[in-house]
Amino acid sequence: MHVLRQAQDDNQPDSTSQQVSLGRAIVITSGKGGVGKTTTTANLGTALAKRGAKVVLVDADVGLRNLDIVMGLESRVKHHVLDVLEEAVGLDEALVRDKHSSTLYLLAAAQTREKDDVDTEKMRALIESLRERFEYVLIDCPAGIEKGFKNAVVGAQEAIVVCTPEVSAVRDVDRVVGLLGNAFSPQLIINRVRAQLVKKGKMLSVDDVNSILRLPLLGVIADEPEVIVSTNKGEPLALRTDSQTAAAYHAIAARIAGEDVPAPTVEYKESFMSKLGAFFGGRK
Amino acid sequence: MEGRRARPRPFEPGAVMAVLRGKGLGLEIALGGRDFEDVLAELQSKLAERPGFYAGSPATAALGHSSLSNEQLERLRGVLHGHGIALEALSGGLDLEPLATAAGLRFMVLDDGGEELARRRALRPKREVQLSDAARSLVADFDGARADIADRRKRGEASVRRAIIAQPQPAVNLHIEPSAPGTLYHVGTLRGGQALSHVGNIVVIGDVNPGAELVASGDIVVFGALRGVAHAGAQGDASARVHAIELAPTQLRIAAFIAADAGDRVRTPIHPETACVHDDRIAIFPRGRAPS
Amino acid sequence: MSARKIVFTSGKGGVGKTTTTVNVGAALAKRGHRVILVDADIGLRNLDLVLGLEKRIVFDLVEVIEGRCQLRQALIKDKRFESLSILPAAQTRDKDAVSEVQMAAIVDELAALCDYALIDCPAGIEAGFRNAVAGAGEAIVVTTPEVSAIRDADRVIGKLAEREMPVRLIINRIRPDMVRTGDMLSVDDVCEILSAELLGIVPDDEEVIDTTNKGEPVVLNETNRLRVIYDKVARRLEGELVPFTNLDNTGFFGRLLGALKAG
Repeated sequence: MHVLRQAQDDNQPDSTSQQVSLGRAIVITSGKGGVGKTTTTANLGTALAKRGAKVVLVDADVGLRNLDIVMGLESRVKHHVLDVLEEAVGLDEALVRDKHSSTLYLLAAAQTREKDDVDTEKMRALIESLRERFEYVLIDCPAGIEKGFKNAVVGAQEAIVVCTPEVSAVRDVDRVVGLLGNAFSPQLIINRVRAQLVKKGKMLSVDDVNSILRLPLLGVIADEPEVIVSTNKGEPLALRTDSQTAAAYHAIAARIAGEDVPAPTVEYKESFMSKLGAFFGGRK
Repeated sequence: MEGRRARPRPFEPGAVMAVLRGKGLGLEIALGGRDFEDVLAELQSKLAERPGFYAGSPATAALGHSSLSNEQLERLRGVLHGHGIALEALSGGLDLEPLATAAGLRFMVLDDGGEELARRRALRPKREVQLSDAARSLVADFDGARADIADRRKRGEASVRRAIIAQPQPAVNLHIEPSAPGTLYHVGTLRGGQALSHVGNIVVIGDVNPGAELVASGDIVVFGALRGVAHAGAQGDASARVHAIELAPTQLRIAAFIAADAGDRVRTPIHPETACVHDDRIAIFPRGRAPS
Repeated sequence: MSARKIVFTSGKGGVGKTTTTVNVGAALAKRGHRVILVDADIGLRNLDLVLGLEKRIVFDLVEVIEGRCQLRQALIKDKRFESLSILPAAQTRDKDAVSEVQMAAIVDELAALCDYALIDCPAGIEAGFRNAVAGAGEAIVVTTPEVSAIRDADRVIGKLAEREMPVRLIINRIRPDMVRTGDMLSVDDVCEILSAELLGIVPDDEEVIDTTNKGEPVVLNETNRLRVIYDKVARRLEGELVPFTNLDNTGFFGRLLGALKAG
């Protein structure tokens, strides 16, 4: 009994610290499914929290929730976004604290409900109230451009767009960037790059992708088997210190926080380094 | 024979004849907007006032927007001939051209916009041109589609679709700044899924990404890379053109012609190009080399 | 006899629905069937791109439904095959441009023209999914052996069961090396969790991304082993009982069962 009570206390976000300004609400989106939005949300959140920031992750994929699995928190989820929106439960009760970082929280999606059940205006208000308590509100957007997308986007001021080096992904991402318009200052993460294949001409290069998308580049992440392993285990890679991918996410987190970070010192192939340098040295 | 544009003349009530000084064009009989019998009667009375004065002058019958029958033309001619005046030319709407030609008269079309331009284009002598690696029309593939576009045009339905611009939440409108009446002037890149359609010309300062569409009844100019679909002359004007700094469209359409890049065009270094209908298909020329 | 109308769906995006639809369709066409592929992902169309036919699109599904053109004018025949055509989706529209009823009507019309109508479903379980499913009589669920994909597949299978639609499973992008080290769920694991009939197991292949970028379905590549695998899927769809391929030479299933027993 004693232990249980303690766990509940631990689960409450620290409401005593004051936040001077509203936090940043960033939606992580792509249009195309399977490019790594959820993995990116989880890892970025972890990386930002490791820097000491107060972060909440919001899973906007009602009916197909996955952020909790990727964070390894599925067994701790008792309430979800819709419960809060419908005022069946308070925000504090729905927020799940991360296993590893004390400043990282998760607001899970409902699994047995539909995206149509979400009231867009209430969602906006929810994000606003989260911004009052957290420095970063990262919203994991579902695939597609239907209501789920619209719900995820409402309330956000910034967007991170995730794309893989494939023509169908570039096409879908371009559509989404067009829909977002100028209001979100979208920035790009290119995920699942296989440098060897790019070299062989069997995969699009960073330039190929960004010659169409023309977005400021936040980072480039290589395709590593460890990513699949980590999502299956529910332990975001950003927790590790020995992983290239983790380093990439940390660099991205630093950039988001406003630091001027040079290209990460990882073993990207030669062709990459020069391209990355060109991108990070200044805006294109 | 090349036509010449008739200068628009203000209609002076009561003035039947006016001399065009310094131009050597002789007399102009203003018939536009008036009853033919009235004009003929007035003409005869004016000529009778000063017999022989105008003899030897050539005359032009200015119809304006009015029509003229063969019989009326002969009667007019007869009256003028009786005073030694030779009717040499007719000016008015394009529909009068056959009448003029049949009567052996020179014809001058009243300038009312695109018709004259189009006519002139059709009359220009064809020149030998150097083709760049041309886009090939995939004739067999597009038969059904082309037939449908032509059908719609015949039925009077516009091929120009309504502008479909995605409006998500929050909505951001595409920035539209008309630079001149008839031209849609858009600043910014068009992303996949966005479309612009316009009766007139379209100018885009920016790229047109794959998945984006431009539909114009006139010309299309992209000051950037055209990678989406462009349809110029969408209401049937096969003289319409598509210009771009980088012409790399997914598909190009002019009037009822459709072409897709065969993929073997050499485009390095990137240079501005123009697409137009030539020899019954869409061809692409380097800027400045397209037949005018 | 009317055609078989099969929807390819998954719930999770990016597991390879479109690639699978294209390659299964191509395999069926190669076996002599008349196949029409339908892209139901309005606004995010990709079927045309994966087949390399994007430049030949003149009319699309929405225009057919709105009566602005005839069905035959919108169909694009793939010249590399005897009898494979696609009906592309619209790019500048949204999923609310068509209703379930309209979708079902179109697929019925198509069914009169072919032996197999394969519908490529968008990701998710929203209106796009409902529209795609409305036209079908059976479903193939595509999943990868990853926890999130399986969870979503499970949700989708549940929804399909509500409609009493027969469901079969294709497991895509399996990596036997990772299965062996326990870093990836095995085929048996997946089937057990989802309790669906297995239609195919497709291994992860480096070449596939390149083929989709180039618009050349992998079944056209004579040296790629996926060609045989998709052919087997086609044969199973025809009703033949075809044993599953050994993905490595050392007794794939034996090892899998071993791994399962171990934990």
